[in-house]
Amino acid sequence: MNRRTTRHRLRVLSGYVGGVLLGAVLWQVIGTIAPHEVFDSLSDTLARLWQIILDGTLGTALWTSFQTYLVGMVFALIIGAFGGLLLARRQLLRIALEPYAIALYATPMVGIIPFLLALLGFGFWPKVVVIILFAFFPVLLNTQRGAQSISPELLDVARVYRTRERDIWRHVILPYTLPFLMTGVRQSLARGLVGMIAADFFLSSDGLGGLLITASERFDTAEMLAITLVITVIGLALMAIGRALENHFARWRVG
Amino acid sequence: MPTVTEVEPMIHVDHLGKQYGERTVFSDISFDVNPGEIVSIVGPSGCGKTTLLRCVVGLMKPSHGTVLVSGTPVVDPPEGVAMVFQHFGLFPWKTIAANVAYGLTAKGVSMKDAAPRVHELIKLVGLEGFEKSYPYQLSGGMQQRAGLARALAVEPGVLVMDEPFAALDAQTRDILQLELLRIWGTRSAAMMFVTHSIDEAVLMGDRIVILRGRPSSIFDIVDVGIPHPRGRETVDTDRFRTVRDYVWRAVMHDEADDTPLPTDADAVRIEPQSHRNMNGHDHG
Ligand SMILES: Nc1ncnc2c1ncn2[C@@H]1O[C@H](COP(=O)(O)OP(=O)(O)OP(=O)(O)O)[C@@H](O)[C@H]1O
Ligand SMILES: [Mg+2]
Repeated sequence: MNRRTTRHRLRVLSGYVGGVLLGAVLWQVIGTIAPHEVFDSLSDTLARLWQIILDGTLGTALWTSFQTYLVGMVFALIIGAFGGLLLARRQLLRIALEPYAIALYATPMVGIIPFLLALLGFGFWPKVVVIILFAFFPVLLNTQRGAQSISPELLDVARVYRTRERDIWRHVILPYTLPFLMTGVRQSLARGLVGMIAADFFLSSDGLGGLLITASERFDTAEMLAITLVITVIGLALMAIGRALENHFARWRVG
Repeated sequence: MPTVTEVEPMIHVDHLGKQYGERTVFSDISFDVNPGEIVSIVGPSGCGKTTLLRCVVGLMKPSHGTVLVSGTPVVDPPEGVAMVFQHFGLFPWKTIAANVAYGLTAKGVSMKDAAPRVHELIKLVGLEGFEKSYPYQLSGGMQQRAGLARALAVEPGVLVMDEPFAALDAQTRDILQLELLRIWGTRSAAMMFVTHSIDEAVLMGDRIVILRGRPSSIFDIVDVGIPHPRGRETVDTDRFRTVRDYVWRAVMHDEADDTPLPTDADAVRIEPQSHRNMNGHDHG
């Protein structure tokens, strides 16, 4: 690494640290001035965070949420990937189902949750369904767009060299579509998180969202902020994971 | 009593026609390509050259007529047929070696068993050292070398090329034309070579099929009559110029244009009157 890039990195790093510090100071100052029911200071928030870590509240909630999230995301991924491929390669299906997919996408998902509640009741699976509904669409859409954008020339190549139909899927359509699918996964990871919190709000008193609700009922601003902070960090981590996945599978898309 | 021993043509195109819905792209196209022969196809953009090639290799069903490859009617892409594509058609997620091997691995040959031949072909087209590279890491010219190697890997009796050098810069094109002729000298197959460049058509082709009209049909088939091996100096011969000028006129000749074709046109025509039916050039 030469000196210029080192200097550049130092500048970026100092800007980053400066930004975070400024935010922390502001948080602390505003939190100290504002009434406790409205906003709390950074130090109080961190203290409360430490408390809920120690007494296990946070751990339990995280574990519950993580389970629903994971199961929901796996289903969302499967539905999105298969649905996207089918819609892309089977024209009749696309004509029949695309309006529904679009309508579903246009509907604010939060509005659907009460219906699900009435339909499925409380518990684990209704929450999973909410997460699926929030998360499957970007995977579906990106997979479909990807699979449809495959150049006819590549399909000609496959056919002229006598690739069998099912091998065309395996050798051409799937590998070509994978990076697009991963773009969808990246977008879905964040949407699934929103879905998870929303599902907790409506459907349960456990999980991260449940914890948030009960804290707000107690006017425990510090705990609310602590949980929000945790959710934000999770969101950032998911985004990083998503980006890494996407970059990994899109190596050959460079240039 | 004398028995005429005719070579069986590798490709036999018989009264081929293609329509998309109402629109007829070409009709009544008939010609043969013999083993070891290169036939160039020229014609204006949109006249159906790509469509014709796709019908020949079985990627598309013609509306009329038939194509025989080694005497067998083409329905699906037959064994022993290879194609080189304008945009190279390399799978971007596969390495160069895997791309070159594709015609073999698609048939179930393992990458390991294909390796010796893949290596030989990569050497033949001058891509040694790039086996593990991905297509995006290579220049256009190198990518098309890989496309050519992939085609040769299946040891094709029929090789069709759809404007294989059109996406390359002029210099690379010049180099690859001669490379292709050199490689061609080492194997023998029937080749159809579609190009927009008339110079290229003459340099590469033993014969040239000229498509014209709307819907298009064969306007003329020209015998190039320049012996192999050909090289850069070929383009400086009188014969090259004569043929090129004739083909140029034939392609550019407007339906409304009355200018006669050059008087030495008869020297290059091998299938005269029957195909030349329309205009102008009989006045001269
Ligand atoms: N799948 C298709 N459906 C309808 N029309 C088509 C289809 N494919 C090609 N055509 C039309 O058929 C005609 C011939 O196309 P083709 O690509 O074979 O021409 P070409 O001679 O190869 O042109 P170019 O020199 O530009 O490559 C064009 O007018 C094109 O619009
Ligand atoms: Mg074309």
